[in-house]
Amino acid sequence: MSTTTKSRREFLKQMSRAALLAGAAPSMLAWALPQGQSVPFPGEDDMLLRSFRFVDLESPVEYFDTWLTPVPHFFVRNHMYEPSELDANDWRLSLGGEVEKPLTLKLTELEKFETHSVVNTLECAGNGRSLHRPQVPGIQWGKGAVGTARFAGPRLRDILQRAGIKPTGKHVMFRGLDEVPGKVPPFIRSIPIEKALDPDTLIATHMNGSPLTKHHGFPGRALVPGWVGAASCKWLTEIKVLDSEFVGNFMNPGYRLPNQPVKPGDTVKPEDTHPVTGLSVKSVIAGPSDGANLKAGKVTVHGAAWAGEADIVRVEISADRGATWSRAKLAHDQSHYAWRLWSYDWKIGKAGEYTIQSRATDSQGHTQPATPVWNPSGYLYNAVDQVKIYVS
Amino acid sequence: MLYHISALALLMPASGLVAQKSVPAKVTADLPAGPMQAKATTACLECHEARVILQQRLSKPVWTKEVDKMTKWGAVVDPADRDALIDYLSTNFSPDKPAYEPQTTAVEKKGSAPKNY
Repeated sequence: MSTTTKSRREFLKQMSRAALLAGAAPSMLAWALPQGQSVPFPGEDDMLLRSFRFVDLESPVEYFDTWLTPVPHFFVRNHMYEPSELDANDWRLSLGGEVEKPLTLKLTELEKFETHSVVNTLECAGNGRSLHRPQVPGIQWGKGAVGTARFAGPRLRDILQRAGIKPTGKHVMFRGLDEVPGKVPPFIRSIPIEKALDPDTLIATHMNGSPLTKHHGFPGRALVPGWVGAASCKWLTEIKVLDSEFVGNFMNPGYRLPNQPVKPGDTVKPEDTHPVTGLSVKSVIAGPSDGANLKAGKVTVHGAAWAGEADIVRVEISADRGATWSRAKLAHDQSHYAWRLWSYDWKIGKAGEYTIQSRATDSQGHTQPATPVWNPSGYLYNAVDQVKIYVS
Repeated sequence: MLYHISALALLMPASGLVAQKSVPAKVTADLPAGPMQAKATTACLECHEARVILQQRLSKPVWTKEVDKMTKWGAVVDPADRDALIDYLSTNFSPDKPAYEPQTTAVEKKGSAPKNY
C-alpha cells in the first residue's frame, strides 16, 4: 500500500528510535533523505514525479503534518501543457453566455472585487488510483494528490452578478489557457449554477498568502471548494454561463462515476453515470511511514482527514486489523472544506509486525469503507488507510 | 531505471544552498527496448513523456482501448503497427510487473523547511 519510494522506505527503517519517539517531524525526516536520482524542479520540493511532461507531482504523505500545505509540497495535476506565455498585464478573463452584459476583466479590475478567502482541501479525483485492483489507466497516484491551502480572490458570484445571469443560466463553464497537444479535446468543464453562486466559490488569485504560482494556475483559477480538483480550472481565461451542462470529453465520458456498483470488464452506458463532484470522506496516515522499523514504546500515529463538503467528526485507529478501534484526537485547526489533522498516541507492547489502520467518519454519517469501491477510472478511492510497521 | 547525467542539471539553481549530492536523474524517461520502441516513442511521446506509460499496469484489453483512444486524439500509429504496439505495451506494462517506483524532485534547500504560507 506504500506510495513512497524504496529509498525513502529503507531510509525510514533505519531511523533511530529516539527520533521517532521524540516526535521528530516526519517532514524533517523527508528532508534528510538521500538525494540520489532526483530531478531538478525549481519550486517543487521533494515531490513524487508522476510525470514531467505534462507536469504531475504528488506530495509524499509525510508532508501531511501541517494544516496548510506549503506550496512547494502541494500536488500539481495538469492534463495538458501549461501555458507557454502568461503575462499578468495581458491576461484577460471574459464572461459571456447566458448573461445580460458580457464582461472582460483585466487582473487589476478583478482585484477590485471584494476578496474572500477559503481554506480548502483540494484533491484530485484520481488520488489513490494506483491502489485499485485491477489497476485502471490514468496517472497512478498514490495517496498524495491532495493538499490544503488558503485560497483567496473574488467570489465567482460577485462577478456573475455584475454580468447579470439570465434565467436560462443553469451551468457555468470554465476554460483555461492550457495548451492542447494533437487532437486531444480541450480541458473544459462546467459546474451547476448553484455551486457557482455559493459564496465560497472563488476566482482565486492567491494561495497561502502569495500570488498563485504558474503550476497552480497564475494569475487566476476557479476554486470550487469541497469538489474534486478538476472543477477548479487553472489559468482561467473564459467563463461562460450555459443553459445545460457543458458537452465535452472532460464532462462525459471523463470525470463520471457509474450510478450502480460495477465490476471490472462491465460495460457502463453513459446514461448510467453521473459527474464526479464532491470529495468522499477519507483519512491518510502521515506517520509512522509505511515500512518503518520502530522499537516498543509510545508512538504517535498521525495524519489528516477530510470529507469534501461535509465535516470530519471522527477518526479512529486500529492496530488489530479492524477488530477494535480507538478514537484519535482531532487537532484544533478547522474550517469548512478543510482537512483536520489528527493524532493518536499508541503504546506498542511487544515486538512484531503491525498493520495500523485509520478510518474517518463525516458529519453526514459516511465512514470510509473497508475495501475500495472500484470504478473504471479509479475515482474517489477512499478505503480505510493502512501502513505496515515493524516493532523490535 | 534510467538514471544518467543530464544536460538539464545545468538548469539547477546556482545557489550554494542547493545540496545536490548525486547525479540528477534524467528529466524525461525513455521507453523500454524492443522492436516497437522507436515507433512507440514517435507515437506516444510526441504529446507526453514516457513516465506516463512506465507507471501503468494494465491488461491487454485495457491497453487496446488506450491505444485506440490516443490514436483518435492524434497519436500517429500506422494501422499495420497497431497490434504490435498493443503487444509491446501490454507485455512491458502488464499487471504482473513489479510496482513502479517514482523518482522525486530535488530538495532545494536541504534541512530548512520550505514555507509559503
